[in-house]
Amino acid sequence: MRQLKVFSSLVKDSLDTITHGSKKYHIWMAFLTFIMLVGMYCYSIQLDEGLQVTGMTDRVSWGLYISNFTFLVGVAAAAVMLVMPTYVLKDIDFKQAVLIGEGLAVAALIMCLAFVVADMGGPSVLWHMIPGIGVFNFPNSMLTWDVLVLNGYLFLNITIPFYILFRHYQGKDSNPKVYVPGAILSVFWAVAIHLVTAFLYQGLQARPFWNNALLGPRFLASAFAAGPALIILVLAIIRTFTEFNIKDKTIKKIALVVTVAAQINLIMLFSELFKEFYAPTHHSESAYYLFFGLHGKGALLPWIWTAIPLNILATVLLTFHKLRNNLKVLYFCCFILFVAIWIEKGFGLIVPGFIPGPYGKIAEYTPTGIEIGVTLGIWALGAMVFTVLAKTAIKIETGKLRYKNSQ
Amino acid sequence: MNKHTVAIQFIVITVLALSIYSCKHKEDEYHNVIEKIEAKSKEYKGVTVSSESYFDNIELIEISEDGTSFLIPDRKNQIQSYACTECHSKPLQDMENTDLKKAHWDIEIVHANENTMNCTTCHNPENMDNLKSLTSNHIDFNASYQLCSQCHTKQFEDWKGGAHGKEIGGWAPPRASLTCVNCHNPHNPAFGTKWPARFNTQKIKERK
Amino acid sequence: MSNNNKKWFSLNLNSRKKESNTCGCGNASGGCHSNAPKQELSEKEFFDAAVNASIGEERTRDGFDQVFDVKMDRRSAFKKLTASLLIGAGAVSTSCSVITDDETKEKAQIDWEEQFKGNYKLMSDDEKKATVDRLVRSYQLRTGKTISMSSKNAEADVLFGYAFNISKCQGYMDCVSACVKENNQDRSSQMQYIRIHEMKDGKGLSFDEADDNYYHEVPAEGHFYLGTQCFHCDNPPCVEVCPVQATWREDDGLVVVDYDWCVGCRYCMAACPYDGRRFNWSKPEVPENEVNHNQHYLGNRMRKKGVMEKCTFCVQRSRSGKNPACVEACPTGARVFGNLLDPNSTIRWVLENKKVFRLKEDLGTEPKFWYYMD
Repeated sequence: MRQLKVFSSLVKDSLDTITHGSKKYHIWMAFLTFIMLVGMYCYSIQLDEGLQVTGMTDRVSWGLYISNFTFLVGVAAAAVMLVMPTYVLKDIDFKQAVLIGEGLAVAALIMCLAFVVADMGGPSVLWHMIPGIGVFNFPNSMLTWDVLVLNGYLFLNITIPFYILFRHYQGKDSNPKVYVPGAILSVFWAVAIHLVTAFLYQGLQARPFWNNALLGPRFLASAFAAGPALIILVLAIIRTFTEFNIKDKTIKKIALVVTVAAQINLIMLFSELFKEFYAPTHHSESAYYLFFGLHGKGALLPWIWTAIPLNILATVLLTFHKLRNNLKVLYFCCFILFVAIWIEKGFGLIVPGFIPGPYGKIAEYTPTGIEIGVTLGIWALGAMVFTVLAKTAIKIETGKLRYKNSQ
Repeated sequence: MNKHTVAIQFIVITVLALSIYSCKHKEDEYHNVIEKIEAKSKEYKGVTVSSESYFDNIELIEISEDGTSFLIPDRKNQIQSYACTECHSKPLQDMENTDLKKAHWDIEIVHANENTMNCTTCHNPENMDNLKSLTSNHIDFNASYQLCSQCHTKQFEDWKGGAHGKEIGGWAPPRASLTCVNCHNPHNPAFGTKWPARFNTQKIKERK
Repeated sequence: MSNNNKKWFSLNLNSRKKESNTCGCGNASGGCHSNAPKQELSEKEFFDAAVNASIGEERTRDGFDQVFDVKMDRRSAFKKLTASLLIGAGAVSTSCSVITDDETKEKAQIDWEEQFKGNYKLMSDDEKKATVDRLVRSYQLRTGKTISMSSKNAEADVLFGYAFNISKCQGYMDCVSACVKENNQDRSSQMQYIRIHEMKDGKGLSFDEADDNYYHEVPAEGHFYLGTQCFHCDNPPCVEVCPVQATWREDDGLVVVDYDWCVGCRYCMAACPYDGRRFNWSKPEVPENEVNHNQHYLGNRMRKKGVMEKCTFCVQRSRSGKNPACVEACPTGARVFGNLLDPNSTIRWVLENKKVFRLKEDLGTEPKFWYYMD
């Protein structure tokens, strides 16, 4: 009974927290709301007229939505890189970052689910996928695995920080015996969500570009580079705008994680390129299309040739301690690395899987305005979810928000 | 630390159990579809559907060639003014010069070359009601495929089996097939060129 | 229009209303008004009037789908975010509304039952028949026309197979045309299940150099033609990946889709190595006078937007013993269809006596679609 009272007080307090803030905060939230409304308008058009308003066709049947979904699963999985050192290896330096990381994971997962729903032809019959009510083709379909692991991960990433914050809110310490097993589980789970998402593509014998054993590991490596890179950027912003104390040491440790992951990712990229271009078969046509264009068609060329140099530049810069320890350079590297991996794992992975088609036909894909609108709307949704979560969490962690017994 | 080991063990076991459970089990025990066909057709008992109602009042006759028997359309009642002898009562030379009404004087043979084929390769000037084989045996108009099969032996084998030609009705038994002359004009048997029935403008747009 | 001669299945949601012949609205001049002209009009005229009154412009819409998405303008389209709830709520509210008549109520009830029906694959024969009856009735309510829709199951001792003679095909595309008409395929996006690839002689099967959308006199010099469509694999990757089992292989080997169960994720499309699947990116449109009224639930019934569809070997024809429309339309006899389990069938003769091959056999999908040459 008392717990319930505390909980309702927490809800009230956090509502109070997120509706009050500086002018900049209000502008930021208004901006996000506006983008979300634009996204919802675009989505309503898509619902009304069908997916024909997107750039997708029978040839390229997954596009911007699934690209973003794939990328964001990686971002969500990256939270584990902070969870593991903090809860399992007991590294104090990560302590402040971990709640932020988990908040980011929650936001990324909500965006993932939103992207999947946006991509569906019949969102009104999505209940067909609910186990028990509908028909759940488990274990045959990798998509059902993905639904399970994504929702499970979402649950873990909501409950663990919630428990910790709930205790702190009451001015008590959290009991490691309660949350550490969950944290350990979430470490495995994070790897699982990304591997399963990779298997989604890897298991299709119809698409040779995806059907290679390196896809899963490469997903992990790129995720552990892009996700923590985003966390560094977010921590930098939080450091500037709030009094939440994040030490340089923490950021530098995360930077090390980013660096190692980016290096591994680059090695895997070279391995893949070697295989595709040293002894090309007709299975290499997608790679040719991606990197050099095929039969005079090369809509992806500007994208991939932006991504590759950015990726290499960021990895090289990060490799040097001196440059990495300079926070300005670090932020810049994290930003370009994030962009590079977003392109590489989104557009650069999903679209060429469909080109050329099963019979060698090439139909190119360009997202339409409506598709971009919905995508931006979902990103704004993610940003808003994260802002709300982070604002409450920071206030509790800095001790400003406490349960008042007098109530 | 003990707690952790237990947790890790639990996870490992769960993952293992899941992966064993998830082994894609095929519904049937056959390695490939040919094996499946061979096994299952051993106990084939026939089907309840029949093509008979789809023959659309085409008059059919049953033929039997080398153990294969099936239906083909009756030919004689499809030929205008059969029997031929109703007009061809006298030898051709006599008919050419009279001012009788002309029926099929304009037929041109575009079938093999002049060394191989002329009218009398197939038609019997002595008995217009029947066709004739290369060795001057009678061949009934209803069995005109026997005439074609003298040269086109391969096509004949394929036709008998069902790899050449077209079925009437449906796939269900009884089998009824069009005969040679239903598709090929014996005087000009080749298929012509024509424009495709459809053109897809949407595909052009997509592949721009 | 008595309620007593209802032939469709009822969930008994409105049992109170059904007991009496009045609409139960308590407003005789409003909701019950539509019963008034009954005496003066012939049954046909009355029916038309009633249909017009209840659904108005919907019956004249193109692409009359049986799929009950309530027409909405863009402003109200936000509501579709909760479409299933709305339809449910709509069904309840219309049944209580003071301005409805029997037809609208019946329509709402059908909508409700259709929205929440189960997966066709798992239905009993009675349930299959019930949904087919509902769809037929719904079509009648919407367009005033009667269709026949079958729910015939696979027959024992049948496994369908197909063979295609690449020496005989002349590229006329009569099959494509017949297929579009037979299967009520969307005319606006020019959906086609069949592709005919014009291949260059002497280049083998180089699909990337082939043209599958030629328009010149055929057969063209130095080319041969090869048709592709759904190969109804015996080990179909598309079936494995479907998260909701909306597509499956029937006992007679046909790989079919329950259009009402499909959620439109297009995973099957990515998994198909043969380009056998088509997606309804927009609402499919078929001019009313071109609709094929001989339908099967798993075959050529009208589709809605956002669902997958594909060649079914014309299940509405093949299950009753006929050949698929493409086989029947082919003027060259390049297409052979039949029962693989019947040792005397022509398809079996082709497999046993001709040199046959299949496309991408190394993928292990076991297509039941063979190619051969003279």
